[in-house]
Amino acid sequence: MPLRVRLTLWYGTALALILIIFSTILYVITARSLRDAVDQSLEETAAAAVRSLEERGFLPLIDETELMSQFPELARIDKFFQIFSPSGTITIRSPNVKQHEMPLSRQALEVAYSGRTIFESAKYPKEPPLRLISVPIIYRGNLLYIVQVGTTMDSVEQTLNRLLLVLLVSMPIALAVSLAGGWFMAGRALRPVDAITLAARRIAGGDLTQRLTVPASADEIGRLTNTFNDMIDRLETSFRQIRQFSSDASHELRTPLTVMKGETELALRRPRETDDYKVVLESNLEEIDRMTRIVDELLFLSRADMGEVKMEHLPVPLDMLIEDVHRQASLLGQERDIKVVLRATASAVVVGDELRLRELFLNLLDNAVKYSRPGGTVDIALTIEQNHARVSVTDRGIGIAQEDQSLIFDRFYRTDDARAHTKKGTGLGLSICAWIVESHRGHLEVQSKVGEGSTFTAMLPLAPASA
Amino acid sequence: MRILVIEDETKVGCFIKRALEEESYAVDLCEDGAKGLQMALNTDYDVLIVDLMLPSLPGLEILKGVRQARIQTPILILTAQSQVDQRVKGLDAGADDYLTKPFAIDELLARIRALLRRGSTESPGVLQIDDLALNPATREVTRGGQRIDLTSKEYALLEYLMRHTGRVLTRPMISEHVWNQDFDTFTNVIDVYVNYLRNKIDRGRSKKLIHTIRGSGYMLKVD
Ligand SMILES: Nc1ncnc2c1ncn2[C@@H]1O[C@H](COP(=O)(O)OP(=O)(O)OP(=O)(O)O)[C@@H](O)[C@H]1O
Ligand SMILES: [Mg+2]
Repeated sequence: MPLRVRLTLWYGTALALILIIFSTILYVITARSLRDAVDQSLEETAAAAVRSLEERGFLPLIDETELMSQFPELARIDKFFQIFSPSGTITIRSPNVKQHEMPLSRQALEVAYSGRTIFESAKYPKEPPLRLISVPIIYRGNLLYIVQVGTTMDSVEQTLNRLLLVLLVSMPIALAVSLAGGWFMAGRALRPVDAITLAARRIAGGDLTQRLTVPASADEIGRLTNTFNDMIDRLETSFRQIRQFSSDASHELRTPLTVMKGETELALRRPRETDDYKVVLESNLEEIDRMTRIVDELLFLSRADMGEVKMEHLPVPLDMLIEDVHRQASLLGQERDIKVVLRATASAVVVGDELRLRELFLNLLDNAVKYSRPGGTVDIALTIEQNHARVSVTDRGIGIAQEDQSLIFDRFYRTDDARAHTKKGTGLGLSICAWIVESHRGHLEVQSKVGEGSTFTAMLPLAPASA
Repeated sequence: MRILVIEDETKVGCFIKRALEEESYAVDLCEDGAKGLQMALNTDYDVLIVDLMLPSLPGLEILKGVRQARIQTPILILTAQSQVDQRVKGLDAGADDYLTKPFAIDELLARIRALLRRGSTESPGVLQIDDLALNPATREVTRGGQRIDLTSKEYALLEYLMRHTGRVLTRPMISEHVWNQDFDTFTNVIDVYVNYLRNKIDRGRSKKLIHTIRGSGYMLKVD
């Protein structure tokens, strides 16, 4: 069921309940007070009658005309009276009761004997209901008469019926009007939601440039709109990153494919010397290795993105690891006539994955050697700084421009200087380094000046002293 | 026919160069965008092959630079991106054709032949003058229906002459387009090769096609 219908229904039900309770209470109270008023006026009339009878010494009254002149208030059309003897027979009654026999009820008689007044309701066929009061007149302990005053409830019933009618008619109308109002208001309140739905649909259709117009008010809808826009911002960014990533990945894979396809086709165009084939096969093997490396690194990064890379959490003595890595890097440097020097070392233990840490330092050293000029020096140092092991790799090579320094950790990003300097490299090494450092809850920084060299510093939290 | 290849992937550039050379084209290879643009501006090439992703100067900028200098040389772009917008941008910037990597060598050669044809008014495919015919696709040369076997350089020289029939071709022009060398001391070699060609094509025929224009160079024509 649409929210708008539901809201309106809820609202309608609540309103209907309130209206019913209110009307019932109104009706009951009105009925009560009207009836009380009737009883009170009956009581007053009866009291006046009794008083007059007392003034006359309780003498029996002769006839109606005299009676009427004696008690003008009894002559009112809306009331009638009867006087009964203690046996319950009628002695006198006002003319407006002529049509009917209205004997005293047994209950009234019994109550009269006990000296109390009683109110009764009576109903005769084809007549409006009646209300009666029966007052005993007791003189020196004896019941002399019973005075009964009655009135029809006609007007009271009519008033009540009219009230009921008004309530029954006006209640549905009020309900309908306010339901319509509620429907309209719910629609108004929900209109921004419709706008959001439409925008979301367009976005789901692939148009991530869509944004919602933020309403001026800071209400729920305003907050929702803002949140929604923020979400699309993030979606757009990550979509752009994914698109960039996959286009970079396909570019990186296409190059070795182009080489392999081109060289193989060329070799097959005409008969060649065996050595020529050998050269092609060797070159193809190189390309296959390159592709394997790229695929491995891509796979690692995408598994890392999804949190599927398993990491050891064991104490790793960094000083030993660094010495080991230093030996390995020295060999690497020899090929390019670059000295790798271990400047400082300290005993430091971090909790983590030794293989990954080795990969991290080797990657940094590989870069330092790769982007140095032949004959240069690369320094590596391990020091301790505020609960952190600080490993820095410094070279005096080509350096990195300020504006590139935040970008080199992006996947596939390589500076133009680096491309011009060496063909080798895919631009994935530092992304992997950054991931490794972060998963050890450390951070990786770079300081560099173009043409002067670079320093990469990894800060890794030390293992707690007990470990 | 002289071709400039601007491609930063060494291996890709190398096999393109070798494939073209085996087809008797004179090929210059350049791995740097800015340098490549300079070469394209300074030398009269018959075709440029430009990779779009280059360090120092993107391929698109090379295209613009060449076209701004009012050089109408056909340009073939190589893109690694299969994305349409890259190609559209390249074609809009003045490229005549494109190939996406990885590509087939046969396709590359066919497209280059098509680009070379574009400048001339001759019917596509076979170049013809009188009863001398040269088919660039099969590299077959016939005169009067008779097959003539040519060495690679002789073929290149003949193709260049045939593509510019009726025009005087100076020795520097020939050396530039057939050998990728621009020095004048090279003229000896040219004369030697022209003689080889004469022996194979004109010798023993009543109608001579290769003419020496005294003091300037050579010309292929029917007189
Ligand atoms: N020590 C350094 N000196 C100068 N530039 C560097 C240095 N280390 C990294 N860079 C820059 O950062 C870029 C990214 O480095 P990264 O290690 O991620 O990739 P790569 O070394 O090019 O390739 P690979 O994935 O093979 O390591 C490099 O291409 C280079 O531009
Ligand atoms: Mg690296």
